[in-house]
Amino acid sequence: MILPFIVAGLVLGSLYALSGVGMLVLYRTTGVLNFGYGALGAIAAMLAWQFVELRMQPVLAYALGILVATALSLLFGFLAGPFLATVTTLTKATATLGLALILLGVMLFAWNDKARTLRLATDTMGFTIGTRITVTQIICLVLATVIVVGTSIYLRRSSTGTAMRALASDRELAAMLGIRVRRVELIAWTVSGTLAGFSGILLSSQTRLEPVFLTFIVIPVLAAVVVGRFRSLVGTLAGGLVIGVVQAIASAFPATSPFSNATPFLVATIVILYLQRRKVVTIEVAR
Amino acid sequence: MTVLQRSSRVALWNPRKLFSPRTIVLIVVLAAWFVVGPSLLGAYWTRILTVSTVFAIAAAGIALLYGRLGLVSLGQVSLIGVGGWITLRVGHLGLPFELALVVAAVGTGIIGVLVGLPALRLSGLNLAIVTLMLAGAFEVVFTVTGFPNGGDGFLGRAQGGVLQQPLARPVLGTSDPEYFRYVLVVAVLMFLVIGLHLSNRPGRAWAAIRQSEAGALAAGIGTVRYRLWALAVVSATTGVAGGLLAGNAGLLDPISFKASASILLFATVLIGGAFSLLGAAIAGFLSQGLPPLLDAWGVPGNLIFVLLGLGMIQAITTAPQGIAGQLKGLVLRIGRAITSRRTR
Repeated sequence: MILPFIVAGLVLGSLYALSGVGMLVLYRTTGVLNFGYGALGAIAAMLAWQFVELRMQPVLAYALGILVATALSLLFGFLAGPFLATVTTLTKATATLGLALILLGVMLFAWNDKARTLRLATDTMGFTIGTRITVTQIICLVLATVIVVGTSIYLRRSSTGTAMRALASDRELAAMLGIRVRRVELIAWTVSGTLAGFSGILLSSQTRLEPVFLTFIVIPVLAAVVVGRFRSLVGTLAGGLVIGVVQAIASAFPATSPFSNATPFLVATIVILYLQRRKVVTIEVAR
Repeated sequence: MTVLQRSSRVALWNPRKLFSPRTIVLIVVLAAWFVVGPSLLGAYWTRILTVSTVFAIAAAGIALLYGRLGLVSLGQVSLIGVGGWITLRVGHLGLPFELALVVAAVGTGIIGVLVGLPALRLSGLNLAIVTLMLAGAFEVVFTVTGFPNGGDGFLGRAQGGVLQQPLARPVLGTSDPEYFRYVLVVAVLMFLVIGLHLSNRPGRAWAAIRQSEAGALAAGIGTVRYRLWALAVVSATTGVAGGLLAGNAGLLDPISFKASASILLFATVLIGGAFSLLGAAIAGFLSQGLPPLLDAWGVPGNLIFVLLGLGMIQAITTAPQGIAGQLKGLVLRIGRAITSRRTR
């Protein structure tokens, strides 16, 4: 009875986590918490839908969508990066709100906010173990796990990963040690944009294909990142999965189902407040 | 404490200050707006500017938090919703509208403080995220509970179109032009409340906290107390804004109180200028008046997002004072040009 809900929850949670990893890679490298992340995914999904409607090969359409999201992310990183490096984390995040609004406006201008469906070829394939599981859902789960593990190893082992971590801890110092700061940052923007495109397309097939909805899905995704304490990729995966499953189980019961959408916010608020319980005074000078 | 009292910025009460040229100009402009505003604007724009004025009050709250305390709150539209809910609920009990507004102010103030109490230790990005999450949670709650429309029970929901009844407008503002004036007066009162706070001891304490929390503590400022007070003042004024919004149509729709609306309002505050009340007024117009204005000019309404996004990035990068700051700079420059010519 509850099994289909758990499966759906795991899938949604893994997508939260997949998106969260993209945000986290960027945040850990450049310190930018990208509120425009959802909008990047949304534009990938909308373009993919549009190209499929125009009778393009589906795989090509998805690839184009992801490519555009990547290019946009890279472009924003290229244009705004030097400025963003000089301001506080809060200002960086606020600036990306601007990016989100611009992309959202363009999408609403090009496509209205009507409900559409993006049908992936893998949606119809599937098998039954107690409940029906589609190949798309398997892809979501596997992709999220692979990306989380892969990115963790990449950050730890590869030279670029080491450079990214160095950048995160001190940008000036990293530059002084001969790390090509701009290049590493742009790599982070690119990776983040690609992940945004991937997760946007998968999210739109599992939830709804609406620009506004997909743009502001960044809020529950942020909840998963918060559970990962803005640091841990594995924590983000765990957070995403827990949030997804709790949300799905809550939606299974009539008493809690209207409030199920509030799960990510509740979890994130509790986690933030718990993490901050000891910090009374921060000593820093306003810039 | 003594340090603060000796500082040169202590605002000693001085009746001459009341009659500075700036104040007189402001009063004249507001009075003219009050008298001829509705007839000048016409029916359609009167309604739109009424709502813009309401949102200017909420924008002033955001500006206070951001400009004075350096706190980013991305959940203020939810507080408008709370104020509106309370006003509708209390109003349907038969209380006069003004009393309902007061109850809404107190109630929203209490809720804002209660919600903000655990968030007091947060600042910077964490606070922004928590408020955004709370806005998301409020969005869900509003969708479930809906807004009172004259029904029974605690939620006051009546199902079916016939049973629904909007809240009656206040006696002083039954028609659209009258309600415009009513809102204008209340908004000026709220701006006065915020302005008085800013120019007196609380404002200085807030500025000190923004500069450095440790420094403020060392100067003997109760940071917790003053932050709570800021939350209370902002929540209460925002609650009044919600009440005015509820009084405008008599009914409210959960769809207007989404988390995304809070983000948009915050963007307009940054663009309008977070460091002055003029900026808040501009922000109110940008958030509610600009979409119909674009519509009237034949520009598709959705491009408002693009404009606001670009404006926000521009405000962050090159114009932290917003439009209000640039206007002030312009006025200063013109004034200087005139005086320099005179001396020559």
